[in-house]
Amino acid sequence: MKKRWNPARSGLVIILALSAPFARSQAGRPGPDIEALKKTAPRVFIDCGYCDIDYIKTEVTFVNYVRDRKEAQVHVLITIQATGSGGQEYLLSFLGQNEFQGVDDTVRYFANRTDTNDEVRRGLVKAIKIGLAAYAARTPIAARLAVDYEAPPQNGAIVDRWKNWVFSLSGDGYFQGEQSTSSNFWGLNLSANRITPDVKIRLGVSGSFNSNRYDYEDQTTRSTQENYSFNGLTVWSLGEHWSAGISLDVYSSTYENTLISMRPAPAVEFNVYPYSQSSRRQLRFLYKIGMQEVRYREETIYFKTHETLWNESLSMALDVKEKWGSISTSLTGSHYFHDLTKYNLTLYGSVNLNLFKGLSAFVAGGGSRIHDQLSLVKGDASLDEILLHRRQLATGYNYFVICGLSFTFGSIYTNVVNPRFGSTGSGSVQISIN
Amino acid sequence: MIFPKNPQLDPPNRPGGCIGRHPLVRWSGAVLIFFLSALTVSAQVSAGSADPATRLPRVFIAGSGIERKALRTGIPFIDLVEDPAQAQVRVSIEPGPDGSIVRFLGQAEFQNKNDELTCRREAGESAEAFQNKVIQTIKLGLLRYVSKTPAAGRINVRLLDLVKPTSVLDPWNFWVFSAGVDAFLNGEESYKSEMWMGNVSASRVTPQWKIRFGLNGNYQVNAYSLEDFQYRSTSNSKSFNGLFVRSLGEHWSAGAQVQIVASTFNNTRWSLIPRPAVEFDLFPYSESTKKQFRFLYSIGPTFVRYMEETVYDRTRETLLSESLTASLELKQPWGSISTSLAGSHYIGHADKYRVELNAGLSIRLFQGMSFNIQGSGSRIHDQLALPKGGASYEEIVLQRKQLATSFQYYFFVGFSYSFGSIFSNVINPRFGSGNGGMSMSISM
Repeated sequence: MKKRWNPARSGLVIILALSAPFARSQAGRPGPDIEALKKTAPRVFIDCGYCDIDYIKTEVTFVNYVRDRKEAQVHVLITIQATGSGGQEYLLSFLGQNEFQGVDDTVRYFANRTDTNDEVRRGLVKAIKIGLAAYAARTPIAARLAVDYEAPPQNGAIVDRWKNWVFSLSGDGYFQGEQSTSSNFWGLNLSANRITPDVKIRLGVSGSFNSNRYDYEDQTTRSTQENYSFNGLTVWSLGEHWSAGISLDVYSSTYENTLISMRPAPAVEFNVYPYSQSSRRQLRFLYKIGMQEVRYREETIYFKTHETLWNESLSMALDVKEKWGSISTSLTGSHYFHDLTKYNLTLYGSVNLNLFKGLSAFVAGGGSRIHDQLSLVKGDASLDEILLHRRQLATGYNYFVICGLSFTFGSIYTNVVNPRFGSTGSGSVQISIN
Repeated sequence: MIFPKNPQLDPPNRPGGCIGRHPLVRWSGAVLIFFLSALTVSAQVSAGSADPATRLPRVFIAGSGIERKALRTGIPFIDLVEDPAQAQVRVSIEPGPDGSIVRFLGQAEFQNKNDELTCRREAGESAEAFQNKVIQTIKLGLLRYVSKTPAAGRINVRLLDLVKPTSVLDPWNFWVFSAGVDAFLNGEESYKSEMWMGNVSASRVTPQWKIRFGLNGNYQVNAYSLEDFQYRSTSNSKSFNGLFVRSLGEHWSAGAQVQIVASTFNNTRWSLIPRPAVEFDLFPYSESTKKQFRFLYSIGPTFVRYMEETVYDRTRETLLSESLTASLELKQPWGSISTSLAGSHYIGHADKYRVELNAGLSIRLFQGMSFNIQGSGSRIHDQLALPKGGASYEEIVLQRKQLATSFQYYFFVGFSYSFGSIFSNVINPRFGSGNGGMSMSISM
């Protein structure tokens, strides 16, 4: 026991703890029956869809894991937000339940953009451990917890000579094929961002190219699609509820029959909840008004090859993440000023519910009333353009719905990690929407 | 005007005079002005944010009767102060009914953040042992405050003992049952697609046994309806999967898989595939979340009945096959690797084989530069189920039928390079945090 506070040795102790058979003898006296202590350890529900749960379970062994939030004494709700540097903030809300009602805490962990998966999960596990220690301290297993502290290296404060500017270049390619079909995708992105609490500047250029090939009855069909865009946004903070900004979007798209379009638009936003609570709840109203200069690739059904349009849009977005689940919805309406019948109304929504013991449900969907397809081409689309969605087609609406329901019962404990024969094959469906 | 004053945005300097020129010239000017305005604005509001990153939380401890030296060595991650007014946390130890009560009182930025822990004294416990217990309680109680300071990143909490994950009171004896349905529907005036999925499963996973049964079904329909083009296509599959694995030490496992499948994509009315199997992991299984190098061998019969007559003039057959898969998975601080190589063939038909390589690599080459490759390639010489009738043009484009091929590949490559202020932790949720819109991924 005495050894464990010697900082020079703590590294050694950690290494030994990882090499299983030696850990017990090094850690000192055998102590009380650990198996009995474990039975009274806090019951924890980790509410995080994107965390490496198996790793958490193998690294944090002083609690018991349950698969249902209602069975837990501690509900760990983990939410993620992007940071100014393109990294992520993990906000861990520890919510005490049942015996630990009223014992709540929050811990933050910041992952850098370039951290590898292993570094991120290590940092997250540290934050989970430090937060759970307060609950373990209320159960007998507290006696067998060690807290290692590593003294900081001696270096001065970090000076940010980049003044919060972050520059990024990323590219990706995707190629797929077999004898009679093949497809290629190329994409390139360039961005410069500066995000501070007072101002947010985002500038990005991106391009993508997509092509498919099919051989059918000695004929080869090729189909391609191209998109290029520049997006700029500057937003100023005006207190806890208001923001104002200006955006500029320039794009070119074969799908939308647009050679080039440019749309500068000032905008103003109001958030009913304070922005500082954005990780858990937001209800934002964004109003935008702007001009669009557009030049088409082919003449449109309205006999235009280029035009100048004025439009306005209002959108409302609600995001809530609570113990019982999460809600994310947005409703956007827009119209052109030259013809008020040219409008668009779009609704997106997703709801995830942990209803009661074992039952969970999710619904996500979106639908639009579309009366603003000004760029439609006069001629007909070819068969492969239709089947592959290579060209926008005339429509008055579109929609999508994803929903799922699952019910689970039986053992509530999920402490075991068993990697044998691989961990796939459960046949479950995972759908994530950002 | 609600924006801060900015000369570049004021009316006289706007590119209004350019109207009438070629749109591209006009636009590039506007893009430039936008970029410049963003830059000047940023210069106006730039503010430094220095953080006392190495500061330890200040704690005042009263009534413990414990020597300061013992407290200092016992709790190395605090700055033990003499003056209670200077402290961020005040700790007081009071005698309780069966031991001591440790009270934590937050001050300054920890105002209203209070806590209370009890420290029970067992009969016959020595004074020294009890003192250690009190120090332990103070230490654990202080973690809630330390977790909000930069010192949190340098603290690791761990259990001193190895403990079995099965040390719980579980009336269900680790059995878990689950049922679910999922649907994905989308469409517009001329197009509609639906996907329905259902599953039922029962599983029991302990360190000794892994048992899983699952039933899955899915149904998919795509329909196109244009003036001169009507087309509707459906596909469905149903399957039952059973898996039993027994652990044989840190490196070996043995078990069996059973699969019953019906699939329109594969031209299979039904097939039954029982497979005894054995697995060897070069690394101990207990390190599986960090590294695995597994070899899985299986052998067994396949009983199959086809929907349409195959290119080999068969409507049913019984075959014996064996397969060997090697998978390497590493998740280390420098990045991750996930690779598998699988080979299988039908015994007695040496030319009917398949070799499949899957590889994924994600590494950080140097500060700011990360690199990502994923790919798969197959040599395919075992398409026994191909229907004689072939596939229509629409079935090919919509990937509704398996096609004759001797290879298949996909390859993904991505890189990302960032420089500048890449350690800024500012959160600014205004105007949304993404690029707008919605991205969606479905994985099965």
